[in-house]
Amino acid sequence: MKERSKSNSAAPGENPCEPELTAGGERTNLKDPSLALSLLEADQVVAAKRQTRFGRRKLSLGVQILLWGLRVYVVAMLVIVLISVLRTVHVSP
Amino acid sequence: MDSLKNKTEVSAYRPAHPTTESAAAAGDLADILTHEDWDRARDRWQVARARWSERGSRIFGGSRLLWLLIGPGVLVFLGENDAPSMLSYSADGARFGIGFFIPFIVLTFLMGYIVQEMTVRLGAVTHRGHAELIFDRFGKFWGFFAMGDLVLGNFLTLVTEFIGVRAGLGFFGIRPGIAVGSALVIVLGAITTGRYWTWERITMGLAVFNGLFVPAAILAHPDWHAVGRSLLTWMPLPAGNRYEILVLILATIGATVTPWMLFFQQSAVVDKGMQPRDITAGRFDTSLGALLAATFAIAAVLATVPLFHHGITAGDFQAAQFAEALEPWIGHIGASLFALGIFEAGIVAAITISTSSAYAFGEVLQTGHSLNRPLREAWPFYLTLLGSACAAAALVLVPRFPLEFVVLTVNVIAVLAMPPALAFLLLLVNDQDVMGEYVNGLWANIAGVAVTVLLICAGIGFGVATVFSNWFGR
Repeated sequence: MKERSKSNSAAPGENPCEPELTAGGERTNLKDPSLALSLLEADQVVAAKRQTRFGRRKLSLGVQILLWGLRVYVVAMLVIVLISVLRTVHVSP
Repeated sequence: MDSLKNKTEVSAYRPAHPTTESAAAAGDLADILTHEDWDRARDRWQVARARWSERGSRIFGGSRLLWLLIGPGVLVFLGENDAPSMLSYSADGARFGIGFFIPFIVLTFLMGYIVQEMTVRLGAVTHRGHAELIFDRFGKFWGFFAMGDLVLGNFLTLVTEFIGVRAGLGFFGIRPGIAVGSALVIVLGAITTGRYWTWERITMGLAVFNGLFVPAAILAHPDWHAVGRSLLTWMPLPAGNRYEILVLILATIGATVTPWMLFFQQSAVVDKGMQPRDITAGRFDTSLGALLAATFAIAAVLATVPLFHHGITAGDFQAAQFAEALEPWIGHIGASLFALGIFEAGIVAAITISTSSAYAFGEVLQTGHSLNRPLREAWPFYLTLLGSACAAAALVLVPRFPLEFVVLTVNVIAVLAMPPALAFLLLLVNDQDVMGEYVNGLWANIAGVAVTVLLICAGIGFGVATVFSNWFGR
């Protein structure tokens, strides 16, 4: 337990589990929620992940033109694929 | 356990930046840890132990650490060496022999590495899947645009995987219903482990059998000097019908870089619990996957070269005709290895592609989307995974279903859907608010834009060749 309290007080950026590694067995340590949390980054925890989301970015005119251009490209290409396949199927006996 | 008992506990927990804050001080979250968190923490514990015991090791942090951290990269590339891809490579070898397509395949895997490395960084830094990030940053409209391409491509590809399973086992006289049913049982077995780590190792164990194409190639006694010469000179260039060559080039690109790979690897990196300090190992994992997959792809080309030399056409993918046609030249053992390789390619891809769909759906619907979750906690995730596999498997068994139509179009559609997926990827990986210090560098951007432009040019070339088919001698 003494070793665990060390891991709780680890500063951000330090490896909080290193004292544990030299001290005890794996089974004992992994029952400790604070150790489990110290092994994960802040937003790796499911509950925290749900609460913090990356907000929507503002799309510049250039980005909007790019995305719309690619949208049109995909639709046009799908039509062409359809034409190609229909021709192939029509030609095949 | 999954539901939040007290929202105020969580609202106090707001990292300044998701990539820099440590969870060490977040003791108030201890009672809301989920099954998924505990499993991920156990994985991270193993990584921390390996990192500690192998500190000072110069080779990517040590062999134990690498063993723990490889997975998503190897799986994405060996998963993409799927049934239609191996059949595309086989068609390259049977139609054109040793020449242009050998170095071209190496180039496509280099392109694959460039874009997949970006997904490693995105996943490790943000801990969010690709679909989730697109919806967060670009909104629902563009999110559904990206998802539409993914869903169409994934489902068609899944169908082709079961065609591969049916064709591979068909060589051994196994009836289609039994072949497809046994494949579904394997998919089901892999996902019911309730643990990402176990799922990953089982799937990697299956993916190793993609290497069956290597002994099949050796049994074909390839001219190694010609292989070396083609790698250096890209010669001889493919000759014949220009439209057919263009379609094969497009199918070969589509056999290596496809939208599902972006979604899958990023989500797998997140599910594995990788962190920014693991990015170097993630790059090694991705390059190892690309190297193995490129080797096996070239082996598939070499295995079918005897068909080129003897002027034999093997175009019917439904009846394991490649393996049957190869039997006189590489023997029954060689042909059996080839057929088993096609079966394996279909199985592994069916697992990874259906998982990719399930990850994306879970992220969009904001329900549990982790292989670390038990069935009762994430049933929509598992239902999507198994449902898509079952629907694709059922279609393969429908009498007179146009299987040939699907096989012909799937890799081409993958190439055509790739530029928008790459645009989203490049925008995300250049987003300072998302990536912080891990934002793309100049050379990564040049390489990423070059791959995107090349794919757009290939697609436009295909379009022009189709519309003005007379010019291309069709």
